[in-house]
Amino acid sequence: MAWFDWCMTVSQRPPGGVELRRPRAGRKIAGVAAGLSEHLGVNLMLTRWALVVAGLAGPGLVLYVWLWLTVPSADAATSAPPPALARLAPMLQDKEKREPLLQIAAGLVLLALAGLVAATALGAYVPWQWLVPTIALLGGLVLAWSQLERVDAGSKRGPVSWLRLIGAVALVLLGSVLLIGQGSSPSSLVVALAAGLVVLGGVALVAAPWWLRLINALGDQRAATARESERADIAAHLHDSVLQTLALIRTQADDPSNVRRLARAQERELRQWLYQDRAPSGQSLATALKDMAAEAEDVTGAEIGTVVVGDSPPTEPSMALIAATREALLNAIRHGSPPVSLYAEIAPGRAEVFVKDRGPGFDLGQVPSDRLGVRESIIGRIRRQGGTAEVVSRGGQGTEIRLTMPLPVIVTQT
Amino acid sequence: MEPKLRVVLVDDHTLFRSGTKAELGGALEIVGEAGTVEDAITVVAAASPDVVLLDVHLPGGHGGGGAEVARVFTEADSPVKFLALSVSDAANDVVSVIRAGARGYVTKTITAAELIEAIGRVAEGDAVFSPRLAGFVLDAFGAAAGNVAMADDELDSLTAREQEVMRLIARGYTYREVATELFISIKTVETHVSAVLRKLQLSNRAELTRWAARRNLL
Repeated sequence: MAWFDWCMTVSQRPPGGVELRRPRAGRKIAGVAAGLSEHLGVNLMLTRWALVVAGLAGPGLVLYVWLWLTVPSADAATSAPPPALARLAPMLQDKEKREPLLQIAAGLVLLALAGLVAATALGAYVPWQWLVPTIALLGGLVLAWSQLERVDAGSKRGPVSWLRLIGAVALVLLGSVLLIGQGSSPSSLVVALAAGLVVLGGVALVAAPWWLRLINALGDQRAATARESERADIAAHLHDSVLQTLALIRTQADDPSNVRRLARAQERELRQWLYQDRAPSGQSLATALKDMAAEAEDVTGAEIGTVVVGDSPPTEPSMALIAATREALLNAIRHGSPPVSLYAEIAPGRAEVFVKDRGPGFDLGQVPSDRLGVRESIIGRIRRQGGTAEVVSRGGQGTEIRLTMPLPVIVTQT
Repeated sequence: MEPKLRVVLVDDHTLFRSGTKAELGGALEIVGEAGTVEDAITVVAAASPDVVLLDVHLPGGHGGGGAEVARVFTEADSPVKFLALSVSDAANDVVSVIRAGARGYVTKTITAAELIEAIGRVAEGDAVFSPRLAGFVLDAFGAAAGNVAMADDELDSLTAREQEVMRLIARGYTYREVATELFISIKTVETHVSAVLRKLQLSNRAELTRWAARRNLL
């Protein structure tokens, strides 16, 4: 069985299999063998040697080149994002499914060709002198047009892209020359080809300045449109939020606490809009905690220094944690004195929350048991979900409420 | 009586400058003000203050803002110390100015008393971390994910002790409270914070270099 295990690595693969990709890491030539080995679950060495042997025999080479051309280059399992980015919970996005239409079409064409070859071998008449140039011509066109979508996507051209374009042009040239020059002598073909190239070059020279100017104008226009729409976006936003708030502040100028609350809320909102690298709150415990703290600020008019490290998708225990944290914050604002700090650290499988104030502190034992505040709404909530809660109070140094909550470890799909 | 610390204010908002001046004027000597990158470089070079209060967002120069000013003096090995002051929450702003040589980072919501204490600390060569900067550090060094340095000189992660200090600062503890909590002296707390600042400036952790690169300052 050890030998079988060496050959087949199926047991080490994730459930659901590995997509056929040419990995960037660990490739020798184009990553075909590495990709195949991962996809099929066959030992890498074995795959490589099988391909080498098949390649020496002839058809393997075609298979290799075919896979090189058609299999996209990407790492099958993208590595986990760095911790700073990993705080974003996995987005609920639809996995893009692309029908391999191109591959199917190419396969059908190849099958048809194979049928024609078989027919020739059986003695049927196939007009190869017309078919081959036509196929070359059409193939070149398809290859060239397939590059268009890259241009639209605005991505840079890699060397492979250029190779494809050059290959496409060569195919089209070859196809046209063969098609038109049926039956003429090779020397006249060469002359015709040269003449054609010279004419093309001449036209390109004449048209180049116009073409360049067109490209420049297009780029400028795009940039201008982008600037314009950005400006409109900013103006709309400022009008809806900042100007409204300023007007509100002016009408309520004699109510300092209200003005402070308005300014604070507006600041937070503007900040969010300017530095919006945050996950939607339905998908991120960190964002949910920040939103909750912001809401507590709005309700009480106090300031809370909020720092959140790490992130995880929200779960039931984390909801209880948020509710308990909210109580702790309100408690700190009501009974303690500012500044109130909220620190949350969300690690895989565990979240810790610390709420600290600078008030005189209190003794939990002296709080009447009929007062629900701390005992029920904070400690009870946390304990019911399997977490721990602790109130640390030192005379003169304020009170700190420490909450720890185990979180289910969510395996993020990569 | 000790001579007052000499401070230059760099901020493009005149309103903020005059407000800060009024608040700090009693305890510190304001020896210069500037509102752009070019002005700041000239004024700081001329006044050679103890500490420069530096806004992260500044017009002028090559668009690098406060980080650009700090970088000029750091590269010239100037003894002038920079304390970054910003309303911005964005990680790349904070990290780029710290990596350009600032000794600390505080937000503009800080109280006057705390600001004066922070300036004093920076003037003595120590580092000043706001709770938020401590949070950034913990995030960037992957502390929540359990990334712990085995040796003190390892640049890409924090030692267990440094993490403890950073966590307490993020929780809103003052240096004194951190010292009491960990049964160490304030001087030791300052040493740990300075060590973290050094790592923040020199580490090649991908998150830090990416944040810094956003401002084209690498």
